[in-house]
Amino acid sequence: MSMVEKRVQKGVERGQQFEIFVDGEKILAYEGETIGAALMAAGRRTLRYTNKYKHPRGLYCGIGLCQECRMVINGVPNTQACQTLATPGCQVETQQREKYSTGLTG
Amino acid sequence: MKESEFAIIGGGPGGIAAAIVAAKAGVKVTLLDENERPGGQIYRQFEKGYKVTDSKVLGRDYEKGLELLRQFSSLSDKIRYLNNATVWGIFKSRTLAFARKGTSSSLSFKNLLVATGAYDRPVPLPGWTLPGVFTAGGAQRLVKTERVLPGENILLAGTGPLQLVLAHQILNAGGKIEAILESGNISKNWLRILMGIWGNWDYLKEGWRYLRHIQKAGVPLLRNHIILEVHGDGQVEEAVIAKVDKSWRPKPDTERTVKVDTVCLGYGLVSSTELALLAECEHKYELCLGGYIPVRSESMETTVPGIYAVGDGAGVAGSKVAIEEGRIAGVSIARSLGYISDADASTRIRIFQKHLNKFNRLRRVLDEMSVPGQGLYELAKDDTVLCRCEEITLKEIKKALADGTIQAKDLKRMTRIGMGACEGRMCGPALIEIMRYQPNASPEGPGYLLPRPSIKPIALGVIAASKQEE
Repeated sequence: MSMVEKRVQKGVERGQQFEIFVDGEKILAYEGETIGAALMAAGRRTLRYTNKYKHPRGLYCGIGLCQECRMVINGVPNTQACQTLATPGCQVETQQREKYSTGLTG
Repeated sequence: MKESEFAIIGGGPGGIAAAIVAAKAGVKVTLLDENERPGGQIYRQFEKGYKVTDSKVLGRDYEKGLELLRQFSSLSDKIRYLNNATVWGIFKSRTLAFARKGTSSSLSFKNLLVATGAYDRPVPLPGWTLPGVFTAGGAQRLVKTERVLPGENILLAGTGPLQLVLAHQILNAGGKIEAILESGNISKNWLRILMGIWGNWDYLKEGWRYLRHIQKAGVPLLRNHIILEVHGDGQVEEAVIAKVDKSWRPKPDTERTVKVDTVCLGYGLVSSTELALLAECEHKYELCLGGYIPVRSESMETTVPGIYAVGDGAGVAGSKVAIEEGRIAGVSIARSLGYISDADASTRIRIFQKHLNKFNRLRRVLDEMSVPGQGLYELAKDDTVLCRCEEITLKEIKKALADGTIQAKDLKRMTRIGMGACEGRMCGPALIEIMRYQPNASPEGPGYLLPRPSIKPIALGVIAASKQEE
């Protein structure tokens, strides 16, 4: 995916800018932004892989219902990226069965 | 244990409107909201950090909601507002359980209002699980209150007026839309439409404004079209679209492929009924109102005395209807608790009811226009995943159906469909439609996937850290 700016400037001013880490890589985020939105802005669409078929899944319902955006956030698996605000330096990992075989990793 | 005389689940327009009228009458209200701030999806506010420099970006609904939200916050001494509270169960003892800030608490109630809203009707089709496929509501939240575009070249596919609102918002944000596919046929019966719109001019004006904006931006609005499949290696790369007949079945030789990186699916909304079902309220099936919805009296009371339901969670009809229904429920509960007289309550309910009737006329027309055609539920192929969580394909469902299963709850036991993390929200509505169209379908309908507590994934540690009372 090319790096066309996805953050819309019109109508709002954003707060503090900071870095978060996604699978060890730095991406930008802003105060008040969910981790899901920061990832979409960075063009990182795969948030987890499924159990059975190891298919990639991304942000889908965006309102906390579908559970597709479950990621490992600050070490806690099954955390919804669409409902979790980014904080400076937070560690986000793509959720995979290989690493986390217990609980709701589907 | 302390008992709340009136507990409300949901901080959208219906829940807020009910809280306001009840609190003004003297009722002590507790409102449990899953979000950080009141407003629900439609009046969703920006998180701390954003500064709104032009409130037009939020759309007209938001501006209308501000007044309601102002009233709500001015009553903060009378309404106990619990944000970030996920209600995960309702039990027979008139008690609900909710998770908040890492612990779980229970709350017993005398009266309960379920105002849980709605979400996009899930439609399984090949490729619908690829990253880059969003629900229209999900894309709308990204654009509206996160100010992030979901992609670079977007295809909107679905039906009904919400698609136009989303298109308007994406264009306003500077996004590029490849096309908008409308599967329905709007021009069927102009007389009925006119009768419905009569008196609801602001709706008409708004719709017209969106249409003009879309036209001016040069975005093709393709009526009687549907999305058949989404393709891509690891994410959306293209979509296959076609013309449809009036049952929404593709017409031969009309298929074509469009290069897009993002697909937003918006086939109307379905009600969030998990909590009303858990509370054992009786439900009835209404396709155009979002599937199974709670049966209610004129005062918005369900078949379980003291439990009320309003807004999109009790039949999709939009925020204006939610507000009037919320007011009716709030006044009814204030009356049942003895805070206002029968005569006073009746007068007020009559006024709210009059507003409702006006909106309902329009709503019936919009419903008729956007009833999904049968073809919509024939898009999934054998290897298409119906249950996104448990990864159950149509083939597995067909096998269970061929074995003679005619009830959704039995299918759940046999295949695990609906047993995953989303608790059947994403597969349930489509499964019911697929089952309804089976040759051996039960005449009473397939029923629904019975929800079980917890209706949202709650870590065991949170439940273990339960507080005795709240």
